[in-house]
Amino acid sequence: MPTLPKSSKKKAMTLMPLELRSLPHRRLEAWKWTDVQGRVSDGQKGLSVSALPHFDLPEGVSVSEVDGDDLRTDTPMADLARQLGGKVWQIDIADGQVAGTVSIGNLMKGHSRIRINISKGAKLNLIEHYAGEAGAFSNLDLTIKMGKGAQLSRVIIHDDPADHVRVATTHISAWAEAQITQHVLSFGGALSRLETRLAAMGRTVNATLNGAYLLSDKRHADMTSYIDLTSEDCTIRQSVKGVVTDKARGVFQGKFHVRRPAQHTDAEMRHDALMLSDSSEIRSKPELEIYADDVACAHGNTLGQLDESALFYMRQRGIPAAQARALLTEAFLAEAFDDMADEDLQESLLGKVRAWLG
Amino acid sequence: MLKINNLSAAVDDGNKIILSGLSLDVPAGEVHAIMGPNGAGKSTLSYVLTGRDGYEVTSGNVTLGGEDLLEMDPEERAAKGLFLSFQYPLEIPGVPTMTFLRTAMNAQRKVRGEEEMSAVDFLKKSKATAAALKMKPEMLKRPLNVGFSGGEKKRMEIFQMMMLEPSFIVMDETDSGLDVDALRIVADGVNALRGEGRGMLIITHYQRLLDYIVPDKVHVLSGGKIAASGDADFAKKLEKEGYDAYAA
Repeated sequence: MPTLPKSSKKKAMTLMPLELRSLPHRRLEAWKWTDVQGRVSDGQKGLSVSALPHFDLPEGVSVSEVDGDDLRTDTPMADLARQLGGKVWQIDIADGQVAGTVSIGNLMKGHSRIRINISKGAKLNLIEHYAGEAGAFSNLDLTIKMGKGAQLSRVIIHDDPADHVRVATTHISAWAEAQITQHVLSFGGALSRLETRLAAMGRTVNATLNGAYLLSDKRHADMTSYIDLTSEDCTIRQSVKGVVTDKARGVFQGKFHVRRPAQHTDAEMRHDALMLSDSSEIRSKPELEIYADDVACAHGNTLGQLDESALFYMRQRGIPAAQARALLTEAFLAEAFDDMADEDLQESLLGKVRAWLG
Repeated sequence: MLKINNLSAAVDDGNKIILSGLSLDVPAGEVHAIMGPNGAGKSTLSYVLTGRDGYEVTSGNVTLGGEDLLEMDPEERAAKGLFLSFQYPLEIPGVPTMTFLRTAMNAQRKVRGEEEMSAVDFLKKSKATAAALKMKPEMLKRPLNVGFSGGEKKRMEIFQMMMLEPSFIVMDETDSGLDVDALRIVADGVNALRGEGRGMLIITHYQRLLDYIVPDKVHVLSGGKIAASGDADFAKKLEKEGYDAYAA
């Protein structure tokens, strides 16, 4: 048998700088559709620096910098953030404190670690605005700890330039009776992955995890979630809607992991996407892994086009075709934001959806 | 008003001919009924007139008020005043009825170079119209037709028709799904719109609706063309004797 020459690709790998080599790539199952390593180049802006997030804080809430080595987040991106993101930005909400709204922005490039502790019975609204620098890379590792009965209402607006690469990973651990609502609006980027990892550690955790992605040109958005249920009586509602056109690519990966003690889990996962062009792409992987025997878990996944009959009906009433398409698409997406408590914020998200629909 | 001249149309990429050489003239102010057996092409006629995709006109022409209808997009035809009351009205999830209708009305007005109707006037008109049709005001707040019964959907078609005040109305099997009381209310709405230079084409399988909306002329559609015509009494005769005598 002849000796095979060493593959040039392998050689290139060994010459890669550490930052690049640490990036997840498509040969990892969880990243097969979102190849960060393949999309980031050596020396890309933000790759080896820390980010400088900006916090808008309500009265009675402050942010501090801590070493935070107790954060045991274990994803490849978390490792990078630990190495390159500097200290941890930490926000503490005290027992029973109704904190108001914390806004996080200026995540333009680089790595950052943020930790938010929402103590027993406390309440926080969190708005994250991801709008990066052109051509840059950013990586956020956010940890949220929720005490018993804590409430979190979280909104992410992801509005990056077309050539920005972004990974934002959130690790939420929720103790008994915690309530979480999350609404994500993503317009993607050169490559983006917004990942939510929720561990429901106590009973009766209630979480709504909705989102929508709207992608045009060659944009890519990945919405990944992993929900780890370890206690009884938790309720999860997840609905992610997608619209892709041109050569855009949407990725949805969702997993409910229902462990043996998590009896009476009531969990629903939905992903529905509209493909408005032949060259757009959707990849989706809904997963249920269930070890408890008395649960109600469901998932649904649909890909389709706008209903031509409905379009004709609207046009017969005099609504021009483009406007009819926009109305139907908006209605489709708006369902993901139906249950938002803050109507002004809801209207602001729908305004962005409308602007995108043109 | 509406002139259909030697119209032929096919579906399935031209492979299945549905209308062949249909001619019909509905002058302004008149109500004509088209009756016929299942599969005669009644619904096809309504879709060809309104410009639905998938129906290929192979010959003939159609004009509305002297303008070539077949060259226009569906929304242009609507702006010219052509309205179809659908046999199976569509559900439009997520779009509230009032938003839908106001968007439609203003889009039509824009094409015609008219000013938009103000929100106040629109609300006033919709309240009065809903009351005339004995519709619950909540129906107008819901997404269009979502969760409505068959009869409610038909009533909503008439509501839209009365709001948009089209110049030519095509009604496709409007009576199906309506009980007698609802039928009377719907017919009152339609009759209120009669005259004023408006034309109507009522497509129906049964004579029942024509007791309430008495047509000026009745035509039998069979084999893709008008096989016979008569006055309002002709509909009663058809009901009694069936369509066999006009089979293609």
